[in-house]
Amino acid sequence: MAGPLKKEKAGVVDEGIDVGISRLSEAKIQSVINGVIESETGARLKTYVETCIHCGLCSEACHYYLSHDKDPHYSPVGKVKQTIWEMLRKKGRVSPEFIRRAAIIAHTECNLCKRCTQYCPFGIDITYLMSVVRRIIHKLGVTPLYIQDTAHSHSVTMNQMWVKGDEWPDTLQWQEEEARVEIPDLRIPMEKEGADIMYSVIAPEPKFQAQLIYQAAIIMQVAGVNWTMPASVGWDNSDMAMFTGDNEIMGRLKRSHFETAARLKVKKIVMGECGHAFRSVYDMGNRWLGWSMPPFTIVHAIEFYHDLIKEGRIKIAKKYRPPITLHDPCNVVRGGGLHEKARYVAHALCENVIEMHPNREHNYCCCAGGGVINTGPPFKMTRIEGNRVKAEQLFVAKTKGAEVLVAPCHNCHSGLHDIVHHYEIGLDIKFFGDIIYEVMEKPAQAGP
Amino acid sequence: MHTFYNVVSGPLAWIAFILFFGGSIYRIVRMLMLVAEKEKFIFTYMSWRYSLRSILHWIIPFATVSWRRQPVLTVITFAFHACLIATPLFLLSHVLLWDEAFAISWWTLPDAVADVMAIIVILGAIYFLARRLTQPDVKFITSASDFVILAIVAAPFVTGFLAYHQWLSYPLVMCLHVLAGDIMLAAIPFTRLSHMLFSPFTRAYMGSEFGKVRHARDW
Amino acid sequence: MRTVTLIALPLLIGILLAATPAWSQEEMTVVDNTNFDNPQRTPSVFVHDAHNETAGIDDCATCHHVYEGGRLVEDESSEDRRCSECHDLEGSDGQPPLIKAFHTNCKGCHQEQKQGPIMCGECHIKAGIH
Repeated sequence: MAGPLKKEKAGVVDEGIDVGISRLSEAKIQSVINGVIESETGARLKTYVETCIHCGLCSEACHYYLSHDKDPHYSPVGKVKQTIWEMLRKKGRVSPEFIRRAAIIAHTECNLCKRCTQYCPFGIDITYLMSVVRRIIHKLGVTPLYIQDTAHSHSVTMNQMWVKGDEWPDTLQWQEEEARVEIPDLRIPMEKEGADIMYSVIAPEPKFQAQLIYQAAIIMQVAGVNWTMPASVGWDNSDMAMFTGDNEIMGRLKRSHFETAARLKVKKIVMGECGHAFRSVYDMGNRWLGWSMPPFTIVHAIEFYHDLIKEGRIKIAKKYRPPITLHDPCNVVRGGGLHEKARYVAHALCENVIEMHPNREHNYCCCAGGGVINTGPPFKMTRIEGNRVKAEQLFVAKTKGAEVLVAPCHNCHSGLHDIVHHYEIGLDIKFFGDIIYEVMEKPAQAGP
Repeated sequence: MHTFYNVVSGPLAWIAFILFFGGSIYRIVRMLMLVAEKEKFIFTYMSWRYSLRSILHWIIPFATVSWRRQPVLTVITFAFHACLIATPLFLLSHVLLWDEAFAISWWTLPDAVADVMAIIVILGAIYFLARRLTQPDVKFITSASDFVILAIVAAPFVTGFLAYHQWLSYPLVMCLHVLAGDIMLAAIPFTRLSHMLFSPFTRAYMGSEFGKVRHARDW
Repeated sequence: MRTVTLIALPLLIGILLAATPAWSQEEMTVVDNTNFDNPQRTPSVFVHDAHNETAGIDDCATCHHVYEGGRLVEDESSEDRRCSECHDLEGSDGQPPLIKAFHTNCKGCHQEQKQGPIMCGECHIKAGIH
């Protein structure tokens, strides 16, 4: 790992940023910055910037700051100073080199996890300020290459992973076939109009984690849920455009998602164990489309499992033995208040749940979310080194006996995998779905 | 000195109060108009219950994780702000001046208590200054304006303290005290001292978003 | 003995006479604040005769006024009475309370005359300074 690390620190890192920067002129920078500020921002930006008393209380909230031995460049307000404050102060007259630094800060040194907002006495939404920076970066065409690629994929295919039109139903049918070995009459009902639930996932599931769809199908089948999955676009609930500041694409994605649910005449949208998709569907995309709250009841997997277990629709055959520790993903905990339900599920499934500290709304971020992991290999070490504090937190949980880390969010899952691997913590990482699948009562298996 | 005193405590004080009240109303109205013009959705998410819940947690010392993590700062900032507001409002000599000018009066602090409170404000200001100069993350984001507003706030208390004890040239110090008070009042709506006006709104908005939409605590 | 008396008596009288103005000045160097239960400030410095000489005040009623029914009574003065006989601490009977009466009486005139102390600490001088 020493090689890429040095290269990254030397500076030249990302083609999306570097090529984008090479095309910029100071005049273009100025007109884009001022354009965004004048036409897209209002009282929030103005009031936040004019109210901030520069106290630094947000610093300790940030895992990057804590992981870099309190280097002020990584404190939330420090990142604001290095980006939007300067843009405002200089009325957009900043250099391409400044924009380059701003792109790196906003896209790879902030997960938009909102923890800092919880530590600011005035409740200044620093995440929003960083989102404005990302919007400017987007409009300047300086977004990091890998995440821009996912946004392109969204734009072209309406899913995040360039999954082609036929690959999607094909994957569902493949998983249905696999699951039928276990439960012969199992179906993954596609395009079932009037089902109670539309189940939606993020594109990485069909792309390379198809077993998650398999597990979900088993759970649905055993619980007797009247569900469906769409066969055409609208099935993907993920949204990297939200994180690149490409709000227009975000709007298209969410419109397609909601319209698909409307077309299928379902009552609810249940989504897999993904955090950012929940943020997009529940909080961000709906607002862009003019819905103060989503037009459908949005049920995250945590809540869905909670209800299934509580209502006795799935029963636990034998509780999960290895001690687990539970990671609270920002988007469903700070963004959805699902922490107590997650604990209910954890305790229902597992014999031994070891809390990590801090937890619930105050949990440390995984450092993968907010699109940071989607900036890809060039910034892998940025997020691993930027989250030493998470490694320390996990290590304490490990010393208390935890063997398995449950992370009910895709981004967290992948990010924590890198953390656990790099810092050699030695924890297995699982979704709730993995454990439910393992411990639930299932109909007697079809004999060979 | 007669004239100087009468100017700073007469027309300048009038101007200061007009700027303070007028400016405060202007800034708040402008902000609300801007919300109505460009971010009307904010009103949709506002909730009295969650606004007050959030404000309440943050105005009580140690009622938030953030305050608990910073015990020294919390004690000092609460003492500083409480004394900053209460001392001038309830100082006997100030109330007597209100009585003489407008025949209105209210409860007052004993002078000895007010003296200690002024010292608390001055020590608080010294602490904030030291923190700005020494704590790296705070130093990093500090600009000249931070020192200016700290000086604007400290000045009426330093001069008031000196005037009360009649140290240095009393009449001059006294006149400077009134002038410093005028400057502070006038500066509140037009500098980042306006956090006094805006923080309840930003807090209420974030409290509403966290409580009503995100079902999470913001403290 | 007679000689002694002749010398000593005028001397004694002379000393007494010389001491009298000093005595009276000692009596009136500050405003009597014994009416206040818990005075927050030192008594106001006020050297009666010197003040009146400097200010050119001959008429006692300039300060020692008499009001009846809210109206100033001309040609009557109240130097034989204590201020607090009319001005109690609470300001009963529509009279200004004692503090305010003192302040307006002194400061009000100083403001009109554009001379004399008008700031708190110019009268309430801290002990040890004067």
